[in-house]
Amino acid sequence: MQRAFVHRISQGLVTALAMFIGSQAALADTRTINTLYGEVTVEGQPERVVTLYEGALDSAIAVGVQPIGAVITRGGQHVAGYIQEAAGDIAIVGAPAETNFEAVLALQPDLILATRQTSKEQFELLSQMAPTIVLDVPLFQQDSWQRELKGFARALGREDRADEVIEEVAQRAAEVREKVIAAIPEDQRDTALVRWMPQGPLVMSENLFTATVLASAGFEVEDSDLVKEGRPHSQPLSLENLSLMDQSWVFLATLNEDGREALEAARQSPAFQRLKANVNNQVIPVDGHLWTSASGPLAAMAILDDIEDALPQQP
Amino acid sequence: MFQLVVRHRNLAAQLGLVVALTLAAVASLIFGTVAVPLDSLMDALAGQGNAIHRFVIHELRLPRVIAGALAGAAFALAGCLMQTVARNRLATPGIIGIDNAATAFAVASVVGTGISVAPPAMALLGAAVATALAFGLAGANGTRGYRFIIAGLGIGAIAGAITQVMLSRVAIDSANAAFPWTVGSLNARSTTAVITLAFGLVIGWVTALLLGRSLNTLQFSDPVAINLGTRLTRVRALSLACAVLLTGLAVAVAGPVGMVALLAPELARTLCRAGKVPLTASALAGAVFMVTADMAGRLVLAPLELPVGLITAIVGAPYLIWILVKPTSRSLT
Amino acid sequence: MNDHAVANPLASSALVPPLTVAVFFVVAAVFASLLWGAGPIGPADALKALIGQGSEEARFVIMELRLPRTAIAVVTGLALAVAGALLQALTRNPLAEPGLLGVSGGSAFAVTLAVMLGASSATLTTVVAQVGALAGCSLVMLATRSRGLATDPVRLVLAGATVTGLLLSLTSVLMLADQRAADEIRFWITGSIAGTPFSHLKAVLPSLAVAGVLVVMVAAPLAAMSLGERAALGLGHKPGRIRLLVLVAVALLVGGATALAGPLVFAGLVVPFIARAIGGPDIRKTLWLCLPIGPTLLLVADTLARIIGAPAELPLGVITALLGAPVLLYIVRSGRMPTL
Repeated sequence: MQRAFVHRISQGLVTALAMFIGSQAALADTRTINTLYGEVTVEGQPERVVTLYEGALDSAIAVGVQPIGAVITRGGQHVAGYIQEAAGDIAIVGAPAETNFEAVLALQPDLILATRQTSKEQFELLSQMAPTIVLDVPLFQQDSWQRELKGFARALGREDRADEVIEEVAQRAAEVREKVIAAIPEDQRDTALVRWMPQGPLVMSENLFTATVLASAGFEVEDSDLVKEGRPHSQPLSLENLSLMDQSWVFLATLNEDGREALEAARQSPAFQRLKANVNNQVIPVDGHLWTSASGPLAAMAILDDIEDALPQQP
Repeated sequence: MFQLVVRHRNLAAQLGLVVALTLAAVASLIFGTVAVPLDSLMDALAGQGNAIHRFVIHELRLPRVIAGALAGAAFALAGCLMQTVARNRLATPGIIGIDNAATAFAVASVVGTGISVAPPAMALLGAAVATALAFGLAGANGTRGYRFIIAGLGIGAIAGAITQVMLSRVAIDSANAAFPWTVGSLNARSTTAVITLAFGLVIGWVTALLLGRSLNTLQFSDPVAINLGTRLTRVRALSLACAVLLTGLAVAVAGPVGMVALLAPELARTLCRAGKVPLTASALAGAVFMVTADMAGRLVLAPLELPVGLITAIVGAPYLIWILVKPTSRSLT
Repeated sequence: MNDHAVANPLASSALVPPLTVAVFFVVAAVFASLLWGAGPIGPADALKALIGQGSEEARFVIMELRLPRTAIAVVTGLALAVAGALLQALTRNPLAEPGLLGVSGGSAFAVTLAVMLGASSATLTTVVAQVGALAGCSLVMLATRSRGLATDPVRLVLAGATVTGLLLSLTSVLMLADQRAADEIRFWITGSIAGTPFSHLKAVLPSLAVAGVLVVMVAAPLAAMSLGERAALGLGHKPGRIRLLVLVAVALLVGGATALAGPLVFAGLVVPFIARAIGGPDIRKTLWLCLPIGPTLLLVADTLARIIGAPAELPLGVITALLGAPVLLYIVRSGRMPTL
């Protein structure tokens, strides 16, 4: 599914390129983007794009731009697994919290897409290398990823593509949603999105990117008011309070390549064994890089694929 | 005149350290993800030549080398002062909680507890608060001996615990953002903090030199020092104030980089003539240590960078263990 | 732990009243630990569950969650308190404490290394933790051979604090290198007994039993050594061998406690301090009194950790640090430093 989507996108890329080359003479395209640190002007179609944020990498590839540099995913050694193939042979320019500025410079970027956590000092340094976009989009809100996609796409000169991509994700979500509705009775679609830690689970926010994707696919994500406004997840829950995450479905994320390991660890805890999702075999181990760290349209498609796979087989 | 008449050995040691610092700085400027050959480096320093090299040197490496050298010198000078005052080579600002408190304050601002003061300012505030508490809790003769140290240890433990709570209760991404503050890093730090540190270092260094002779007498017992005309209370208070100022400002730039305050004075003492407190040599050695460690941190795992604090810890470990287990060690007395 | 032989006939009769009170406190703390938690099961429900009534949910929370961690708190408190008392008697330093001297730090570093290399079994973790603690202990003891350290309580603590700080940095290095391990370790490293399974306790108990036997063996010689090495020699004890036995006992105790709860600072400082305040400086009395006071302290700290942060929990190590640091400051202020 994911490959098919990337294929579609690369087709889109070819079309876009053709259109671009055709109209290049007429394009003296200059755009102004409102960012966290004021207005930033970008000219033409950037070709050497460096992304310092997973959501930016995802958005850029989705609108048909192949970035040349990116940061590793949190806790990984490379970009997240779901996007590795699409990202191709991409240079690594540091970790999310420690950007290697020289590596960025060595790539001679003409546009840098950065995370919202970029500090003013870092922004000023990066801006001297290339126009740097630090979007002023609040994290952990329902429409964060769409707004980020539009912002980054505008910087990349592909604003029109952004709406198409959002539409494609929405279509795919509707498709999965139909299957979800067919497979699961209405009163059993309540879901918790959880990261299992040895000292107790973190319940993810209802407004986390992944939760919004789950919701678009027909699940009802509950964080039982455990997550404070603007936070991605709760504090590690006391084992005594596991009943607060006791929904019909539990999506269990881990940074292990193999999520089953985490599930095994969780199942050793007697408190976990009692969860009704566990009893009904509806605890779904998922890749934490994708489910709790990534964001963007490609991630949404990959998550929708995971959801589809998790559904009980229809006769 | 204070210490203008240095004996040959001390002068040689200081000159040697200046040469080492120059070499370390030049190496730091040359090596990195973008290699800048020596002749290009000269052009770039003069503001000419390849634009990329100019940018790498002026915007990335030079500020970092300067920040590293200043912070290393400040940590080391603070360490040397405190070791002399406490008559104990393990009594560094880091051990008695100043670093920990500065970190706790900085982390509080990074992880979004609603405090919007810039982390460097918070670090300085933390250092001051910790010292004030240690003095207050140690009782009347606060500047003397162990009480102050143990009180600082307790405060450091509390500050460390609070940092842990903050880090374990916030989002993982915020905890990651605060990580450089908990181990020490020189990557793209605040310019204002560096400039402040430069002024602070000059003040601290001049004060230390002015105290130089009195500090030398502190190597003897109290009665001897008093007989030699040293006003103990004043010297101790001034030295400690200097140490706190220097540490706070250095943490504001680089985070709590460990071991520099311990190892650099140690190295300086080895190089210099016994009998004098090697203030300038300590500062120079600290600068060399820090600049070299930061360079190593940039190079070993490239393109990923290791924070400088981790390198100093790894390098410092064997040395610390050695001075602890060496049975005839004079280092601890 | 089997400590009957520790009893000095002269000491024990005077010890009966304070011991009785202390045991009463343990029982109270055990009940508090069973009755209060971070979840919705309150004291009334918990009491019903304890006598086999009440909801199935309540019985589960009490029997499967609170009972194991109460047991673990008791064992951890016991181990750390005894280890602290031994170290303090051996170094004649009231500030000698496994957490401050780097023994717990060595243990935690070893475990972090092992987890990173893929270790997961409880038995292995215990052994690794104890080996790390032994290394930390040996380092401290080697350090005491340096001139000035043996006689000056502050210098020994400084050496320990330096080692601890260093080990913490090195642990950070490891955690940076492997974020997955970092996530697993981050909560443990502050010290916590939430979610430690019973199997860990079973894995630790045999080595703690060995440590208990060692403690019984060294108690009397240690008391003699506090009169001076000459006196100990005169009574037929071999100070070198006693030291070695104490070190092994401390390593087993601290390593076991660290495997269960992560590195906890100050527990080994506070408990012997209180014990000495009640029973005087005799190591045998101190050890006896540590048996009930250690568990009490940890149970209270753990119960607080659950209540303060509900519905989440605070790490236990934070509570012990916040409880212990004031005691440290008090010891310093009271001028009792060099009295051992």
